[in-house]
Amino acid sequence: MSATETQPDSSYLLRKLHSFTGILPVGAFLAEHFWSNSAALVSRAKYDATSEELQTIPFRLLVEWGAIFLPMLFHGGYGIYIWIKGKSNVSAYPWVGNWLYTTQRYTGLIAFAYIAWHLYTERWLTHGKSTYENVAQDMQNPWYLAFFVIGVLASSFHLGVGIWNFACKWGLAATVKAQQAAGRFGALVGVTFGVVGVLIILSFRFDWHPFSAYLPNK
Amino acid sequence: MADAKLVIVKVKRQTGPKEPARWEEFSLKWRPSMNVIICLRDIAENPVTRDGKKTTPISYDSNCLEEICGSCAMLINGKARMACSALVDQLEQPIRIEPLSKFPLVRDLTVDRQFMFESLKRVKAWIPIDGTYDLGEGPRVSPETQEQGYPLSNCISCGSCLEVCPQVNEHSQFMGAAIISQVRLFNLHPTGAMNKNERLAALMGPGGIQDCANAQNCVHACPKNIPLTESIAAVNREVWKQALLGWLVG
Repeated sequence: MSATETQPDSSYLLRKLHSFTGILPVGAFLAEHFWSNSAALVSRAKYDATSEELQTIPFRLLVEWGAIFLPMLFHGGYGIYIWIKGKSNVSAYPWVGNWLYTTQRYTGLIAFAYIAWHLYTERWLTHGKSTYENVAQDMQNPWYLAFFVIGVLASSFHLGVGIWNFACKWGLAATVKAQQAAGRFGALVGVTFGVVGVLIILSFRFDWHPFSAYLPNK
Repeated sequence: MADAKLVIVKVKRQTGPKEPARWEEFSLKWRPSMNVIICLRDIAENPVTRDGKKTTPISYDSNCLEEICGSCAMLINGKARMACSALVDQLEQPIRIEPLSKFPLVRDLTVDRQFMFESLKRVKAWIPIDGTYDLGEGPRVSPETQEQGYPLSNCISCGSCLEVCPQVNEHSQFMGAAIISQVRLFNLHPTGAMNKNERLAALMGPGGIQDCANAQNCVHACPKNIPLTESIAAVNREVWKQALLGWLVG
């Protein structure tokens, strides 16, 4: 076998990188983001403290660009390229996997557009020093609120299906049973993220802090 | 005799790849156990359309009539399936018959599936046992491996899995599920495994396994019930280990 034959053409590596970045770092960041933001469910002060903690990490720009923005741009950009190269046929073959194939593309685009908007308003306009008050004010706009809910649900769905795809595409789940289990796990992640995400939004919108009782009595 | 049962069939026809397509409708006499191939034969016997116009027999591929040769895959009521096992009594009428849409059309229902055979050649979907001298007996194959391989060996290269795959289209060179499953089959065999890395390398190339997007339509459409999605996952694991770790572990 000649050396050139073993050289994979770049589309293999790019596809693999696309699949990988969806989980790490993009999916992992979504988990971190929901975890940090759920501080709002305790109190305004806890949210602001958590935000400040993150806003003052050393090498912040490097971390933001290297671990969040660039991987997301690549995942989203290459995802659109993949979408264009496919040709959905869910009306002729309405099987579950085929539905997920199609919805994965739409939810990806919605999530991408939403994240861009979310970054512009809560990262760019606030110069990276957003507070509880900033977000709560944005949430008073019903259009903004609706976009938030749709964006959070689309991102959660996309991650849930993505976990299933990842398990299949890397051969981690290589039997029908294992793929079903991976699908159930993906569904669990998607639903959990969706519920937690919406709860966080409600917390900002209605100044609602269901875990405030955790705080020491004053 | 007025209530003799009739079968209404609509066939998409095209005299050549660049000619315009048209639909012709036929009214055939029902027979017990009638399948779509029998309909096409009846039309060939008496090529007259439903409204009495004389036409030509329909061009189509078929051979074994028992879902074993793979040649008669076509779109029947919009779905890819084998015409020989498509029973008229189980189909909604009028029965719409069209050629597969993902392969170059030759004429009427005949398509050119050379792409699949070229892909099989690219992945070396065979076991090299010929030499200039007697190579002797090959290694023994465990019953467990035989059991894994047998369902994969049932592939008839009909092209149904490519037809239903959203990733197979005019913008892509994706080789499709059947080819990937054949790589798994030949890599399972101890003699075939001697060319394992060459097959995996071919699947990293243009139209390789990376183009699978896990819609999993292939496994539903396969007339031979081949576990195609399991094959793709299993081969995927081998390919990335070779592609990403090959330079480390050889």
